[in-house]
Parts: sequence; structure tokens; C-alpha cells
Amino acid sequence: MSRDINVKKLKKNAFRQSKVRGEAASRVRCPGGEIDVESLQRVVDIAKQYGKGMVNITNRQGFEIPGIDLDDMEEVNKALQLIIENRGINQEKYNGGYPASGTRNVVACPGKSLCPFGCYDTKAFAQEVDKAIFPNDHHVKIAFTGCSNDCAHTRLNDFGIIGQTEPQYDPARCIGCEQCVKYCKKRSVGALKVVNGKIERDTNKCVGCGVCVNYCPTRAWTRSKEEYFRVVLLGRTGKKNPRMAEDFMKWADHDTVIKIICNVYAYLDEYLDKEAVESKEHIGYIVDRTGFEEFLKYIMKDVDPNPKCEIQGRIYWGGKRYDQTNELRQSMFRFSERED
Amino acid sequence: MSNMNNNPYIPFPSTIKEVIKHTDKEYTFRMEFTGDVKPGQFFEVSIPKYGEAPISVSGIGDDLVDLTIRKVGRVTNEVFEKYEGQTLLMRGPYGNGFDTDEYADGEVIVVAGGTGVSPVRGVIDALSLTEDAKDKHVIVGFKSPDDMLFRKDLERWDEALDLILTVDGAPEGYTGNIGLVTEFIDGIPIRDVTKTKAVVVGPPPMMKFTVIGLLKKGLLEENIWVSQERKMCCGLGKCGHCRIGEKYVCLDGPVFKYTESKNMLD
Amino acid sequence: MGYQLSKQNFGEVLGKLGETYRLFAPVLKKGEGRFKDTDVVRYDFVTNPDEIELEKKSDYAFKEFMLPISETLFFFTEDQVKEADIDEKDVLVFLRSCDMHAVKRLDYIYLENGKEQDWFYKRLREKVKFVLIGCADTFEDCFCVDMGSNRTEDGYVFSVDVIDGEFCCDVPDADMAKVFAECKAVETEVTPRFVTENEVHVDIPESIPIGIYGSDVWDEYSARCVNCGRCNIVCPTCTCYTMQDVFYTDNGKVGERRRVAASCMIDGYTNVAGGGQYRRTNGERMRFKVLHKIQDFKSRAGFNMCVGCGRCDMVCPEYISFSACINKVADAVRKEADDE
Repeated sequence: MSRDINVKKLKKNAFRQSKVRGEAASRVRCPGGEIDVESLQRVVDIAKQYGKGMVNITNRQGFEIPGIDLDDMEEVNKALQLIIENRGINQEKYNGGYPASGTRNVVACPGKSLCPFGCYDTKAFAQEVDKAIFPNDHHVKIAFTGCSNDCAHTRLNDFGIIGQTEPQYDPARCIGCEQCVKYCKKRSVGALKVVNGKIERDTNKCVGCGVCVNYCPTRAWTRSKEEYFRVVLLGRTGKKNPRMAEDFMKWADHDTVIKIICNVYAYLDEYLDKEAVESKEHIGYIVDRTGFEEFLKYIMKDVDPNPKCEIQGRIYWGGKRYDQTNELRQSMFRFSERED
Repeated sequence: MSNMNNNPYIPFPSTIKEVIKHTDKEYTFRMEFTGDVKPGQFFEVSIPKYGEAPISVSGIGDDLVDLTIRKVGRVTNEVFEKYEGQTLLMRGPYGNGFDTDEYADGEVIVVAGGTGVSPVRGVIDALSLTEDAKDKHVIVGFKSPDDMLFRKDLERWDEALDLILTVDGAPEGYTGNIGLVTEFIDGIPIRDVTKTKAVVVGPPPMMKFTVIGLLKKGLLEENIWVSQERKMCCGLGKCGHCRIGEKYVCLDGPVFKYTESKNMLD
Repeated sequence: MGYQLSKQNFGEVLGKLGETYRLFAPVLKKGEGRFKDTDVVRYDFVTNPDEIELEKKSDYAFKEFMLPISETLFFFTEDQVKEADIDEKDVLVFLRSCDMHAVKRLDYIYLENGKEQDWFYKRLREKVKFVLIGCADTFEDCFCVDMGSNRTEDGYVFSVDVIDGEFCCDVPDADMAKVFAECKAVETEVTPRFVTENEVHVDIPESIPIGIYGSDVWDEYSARCVNCGRCNIVCPTCTCYTMQDVFYTDNGKVGERRRVAASCMIDGYTNVAGGGQYRRTNGERMRFKVLHKIQDFKSRAGFNMCVGCGRCDMVCPEYISFSACINKVADAVRKEADDE
């Protein structure tokens, strides 16, 4: 029997077209990299019943169940219903599976739920953002990480959200043991120094990682009640110009972050290349065409940043331009020709 | 400056009467002081731009104490900028110090290394004035000829008692003794080792090996005294830094009988 | 004399007492713990009963009043030294039985050890009266029963036990009793609650031979301990401090002298001018601390220093248990005795 499948629809429905003819892979969305065991069991059940008994763990913290017969997609969608509901994913049609796949799973490190360095609830923020932006077909990658360690590799995303705390210092509780100074230097950026037995923090240097708070034996250092975020923009992997996301904001508050993320979709509606292959284009390439100023106009629309938030008006990205050269950077120094 | 509250933490100002330079690093400050004080005791000296440092008494005169200060680190550099007529804030004296009477009779061996000479300087002086001063044997060791302290005293002591002056090392042509203080213990002529008393002051390893040498020679543990150096912030038995086991160096020492100090382990 | 009263009336009692006293009590500090959204119970001045944490054991000890973590002792100028002023009001310190026993340890060091009393300690100590917080049950790390600090018969002006929402107070102090009577407290028989059984037990050797210095019992701590000194800072019986001078002028003749809490576990504790240092390994430091608590202090004072509050266990980031260490020492002592 010959198959007549709308592959575009299949992809939008969060199935991945397999190289094995007649098969697809079901992509399970887990915002914040979190899954309840009931849903996890369902992933197992689907893989057993419709797949090949194996599950891929994706780079973006989802699951991918390969080996699903194209004829079973409807049944698989029904089976996914429990997971979609348990994970709180916006849906358009009951038992219809995922309504979109363009905007990728929102990634998060475990954050404050587990990690001693986590500055906020990364998973909750990721899930909140997922609720706000999904479903959407635009290819947008967002990741949340608890502190400046960036274990979630947010700098490879379009929007990377890095937690910050503003260390609060009570000199009356400080014994000048200098552990904060030592660990800030060893584990972070070295923003602290001792002056007259007490600590001075270089506010310009401090990244708000909270290492000083963690190592203070007396509670002279505590975390700010307010949560702050560093926002990094438009990092990407890929063939043409892979690059790290660059700083856009620091000490931004929660509302500012949510708003600029939501605002990017209007920009994409307007400027996405209508001829883009599979309607998929990294945002950064669009910004290259429109200019950063235009992008800024869109994402800052109706945003009223918190007073402490510092924002850059211009950003320059790095990364190698493979569309210009594939030469190894130091190609004049060949491994084989180096002196012993 | 008044201390109406009788607060032991409040320092008093003391005038620097004289500064005696021994080496590039070591100076003796002759300070105005009226009151009871013994060799081996120490004062907490407030050093401008640094803070307090415990400095042992290296000499006692009429209304005077000598404080020999080694220029080490940031601690004592500032004091060296002080000159005669100016004042320093001090409090003390603290610690038990040496009871020179205990060592006045019979055969005695004093072994001192480096700045360890300071606290026993008064002891050696007293020994040099005894009738049987020739039975008082003093080994004084310095790192090099340039590091020698109390040169005038050394000359005096050499006349009065049995002084062995040695250096760990010296440039070629140096005619004096070269070698660690421990190497000279064996050669000291002693008639009755079981009654001989000994005083040992210096860096920890030097004290350890000197005591081993003395015991090997036959001296009794109860006839040996040592002086311990520790961080002493308060001098009053409160701050805790100088505690070794149940002893507080600032209260119970710094001079200990070896029978005590052998059980004071770090 | 005992009283039972409502929370509101207890609040009135505190209100009245507040006219004469400052109240220094354990307070749950929201979000001021080491990690994000963790709390800490530490001492602070309070005005009403809602602020006082009567349920949890405090993470930091009451000693911070008499031995402030950082205390300016005096100011000096070219020709004058002037002690820093303090608040002249008397203070009621709320604490548990173990801490009442700790007071005796602090008093020993600061008032009895050596010829001189500590002027600054005494000045604060004379302002203090104690309010005993009853212990309905043992906490996780407590070993007060074995240390004999679980009961307090006297030394407090009144006690507090909250039973079924009612405040039950034993009030041996006649002046205090008047205040209670004025606040509609009902006279009744009250005995403060004391713990009679802990989960943790320690076996302190009667005497510890000098051979324990060379025991391998300390070796594991060289590897495990990170010399952060939190155990000392939270300990109600640790009394060490370090002097700090702060200079206001370039010539160093005008400034202030202060003292800050010191820890025998933290680097620098033994440093002498010229670079000398004793007890470099953390195992040696652990030995120094542990033997002080269970032997060396007793040799001088006649009673053990450790009161078994278990705070050092609660705060240790490396899960080093002080009580477990005591028992390891006891085993080593027994083993040494058997070997002989």
C-alpha cells in the first residue's frame, strides 16, 4: 500500500521524519528538563508498544522515541496526551499530540531545586516561558541556567537566561577570614578584596554568581531577595557561523526577561525569510539582514526594564565565518610540521 | 592618656629613649617603662599601620625596657620608622618570664638561636655576674655573621663566662665557629650533668634538637627550660591563639620546664 | 512561680519588658541561608513574640551578643584611647539549656582564665539576663544528655514552653513574676521541658593519653575537612578572636581597634610574624579543636567545654560529625589501652 503522508504536518506535529522509510520519531517536550515518573513511564510504554524499545535523550532535554510506524502516529498522539497534560504543554486539540515543533523545548539546568549555586527556580521559569510562547512554529531556542557557570549552555541559544544574585554584605558579621575572596578568585571572577579587615566588592566585576554567599561562614554575605538575570543573545551552532551568545542585559528582572522573549515572535513574523528552507532560520541571520537596531525595536517593545537593569544598545558577535573560509585559523602552523 | 577603667586592653604610650641597630633587620628599641618586668616576658606593641605584635623583653634597666624587634613582613616595618623621642603604644608585660635566680647556682648551659637571644639576654647577663661565671656555658647561634645581635654584649659575655658563638654559615675567611648550635653541646665541659641546668630559646626545630642533645648529654628533663613562640593576640588568656593543649603560652609561658613542654604538642 | 498565658498576653509581657530590656532571641531569617531560598536561624534583637523562633534550634549561637562577631573595642588618636560606647539597656537573651551551660564556658575563659578579666566581655555580660527556651524533644544532632547540659535548674529569669499554643513559663525571678501577673497570666505549676533522650550518644574517655596525638584517627579529617571554620563560628563555646586595627590616617596614629571571631580551623590562626605556622593539616586542626572540647579545657576549668548542641554537625558542608569524631577518639583510646 502506498503511503500518502503530509510530511510538513508530521513535522509540525512534533514527529521527526526518519531516514527509515515508513518510520518517524516522536519528540517529547519536557520544558525545564523535568519529567514526572508517570510521564516517563508513558515514554517507556510508547517506545515498547510503538517504537523499538529504545529512547533517545535529546540535547535539549527532551525524549525522542524512534522507530514509530507512520500509521501509528495517531495512536502515539493519544498515548502522548498524559505526558502533554502532566507537563502542562499548551495544546490545540485533545489527543492531537503536540501542536508545533518550531519553538524548541525550553532548556534549564536544575537550578535552585538542587544545585547549591542555583540563583533561581530555573525549571519554573522555563516552564512559565514555555506556557507563554508555545505552540509556535518559529525556530527559537531558549535556555535557563541557575548561575554564571552556565551548565545549561545558554550561550548556544537565541535567548540565554543566566541567574544572578546581588550579594548583600553585613560588615558586622564579617570576621575577615577571606574565604569569599579566595573562592571568588578560584571559582569566579575575583571581584572581592580586603580593605581594613572587611571586604570590598567590585560591583563592576561581580557577576552575581553567589559563590561568596556559599562560602561565607558567618552569613555576612547573603543573597538579595530580588532575583536578577543576565540575558545573552543569539548564540548558535551550525554550518555557517557558529558563535556564542553575547551579553545583552545584566541585572534584569523576571518581567523584563519574559517580555523580550515574547516580543521576538512579532519580529520573526515580520522578517523571517519567506524562502527559508523548512521555514527555519536562526534568528541571528535575520538580525544580520535587518540590523540589530530593528531587532531591538521589536524585542524592547512595551518593555519597562527594572531600574537596576543594564542594557546594551549594540552587540558584536564572534565565531568563525565558514561561508568566508574553511581554512584552519593557524593553518600556517601544521601539526605535522611543528618542531619537537 | 588615661586608663580610668582599668581596662587591660588599653595600651599606654611609651617614649622611645634610644634605637640600637644590630643588623639591617634587627633593632632594639629602648622604651620608657616603670614597673615589674622579667626577661622572657613580652609586651603587646601597637605598631602604626599594622596592629599589635607581641615583642619579648630583651633588656631591663632603670625605668627602661629593651624591645628587640625583627623586621619581618609588614608587622614590624613601621616601627623602624620610629625614632628617639616618639612614642609607641604598648601593654604588658605578659607571660611568666625567666626566674634568673633559678639558674644562678652551679653549672648552666644556655642555648639561644637568632632572635631567641632577646628573651635570654637578661638571663645571660645575670649569669655573667655570678661568682662562678666560668661554669656558665652559653652557646649563641646566628644564621650568618651579618645576623649577629647584641655584639657588645657578646664581647662582654665572652670575657665573663664560657661563650660559644657560632654561625650556621659564613663567607670565606670567617675565623669564628661555623656550625649549628647543637654541634657544640657535646664539647661543653660539665662536671655533674644531673645537676646542670639548661635554658633553650630559638626557632622550633633548633629547640627540639638542642633538647635532644642536652638529654643525650645526660641532663635531666626537669633541669631544662624552653621558651615557646606562638601567636599571641591578647596576652590575657582570652583570644586562644597561643593555646597548646591545656596551656596558654601567654599565661603559663612562654617559659616552660621541659617536663611540661614535652607534652605540649601541636 | 509558674504562669500560663496566651500568645497575645505573652506579647504584652515582652512589650512591658521591652521598656527595660532589649530582647536578643533566635530569629528565622528568611532567605538568608547559604543557598537560594534557604533560611537561617540566628540571633537578633526582637520586639514581639512572633519574631522569636521557639521551634527550631538556632543555627548560630546566642554568644554573638556577648562576643560580637565583629566588635570595635576602642578608638585611638595621637594622644587618646577611648572605649567604644555600647547600648546601656540591659538585655534578655533567649536560649536553650545547652546554651545556658555554654555561658559557663564563656565566663570561664573571659572572666576566670588568667589574672585579668576581659573588660569588654564583662561589660556586656553584666547586662545580660537569660530566658530559658524549653526543649520538647531532641533535635537531630543533639547530644546534650551525654554532655550533661540537657537540664538547667537555675540562672534564668523565666522560661518559655509553648504547649498547645499556650505559653507556659516558670518565673523564678520576682520582678519578672510581677510583669507576668500584670499581663493576665494564670498562676500554675510550670517546669521547663528538658530533653532526656537524644538519638546521638557520645562516649567521652575519662582521660585521653598523649599518644592520641599520633593516632591515625585524625588522618581522615585532613582529607575530608575543608577548613571553612563554620563549626567554630556556630559553636556556643568557641571563644577565640583576632585583633584588627583600622587606621583612619596615613601615619597610622588615628583609628580603631576591633576584634573579630577567630577559628582554629581557618588558615592564619597560628601565623606568627616571620611566617611561622603551626598545625598546617586539617587533621591537626581537628585534633586541636576536638581535644580542647573534650579534654584540654576540662584540665583547666574542671568541666568539659562541649555542651553537645550539635550545631557544628548541622553546619558542616562536608558532613563531618563532631559526635562521631568523639566516638572515634574513644575507640582509639580503648584500642591504645588494649594494645598496652
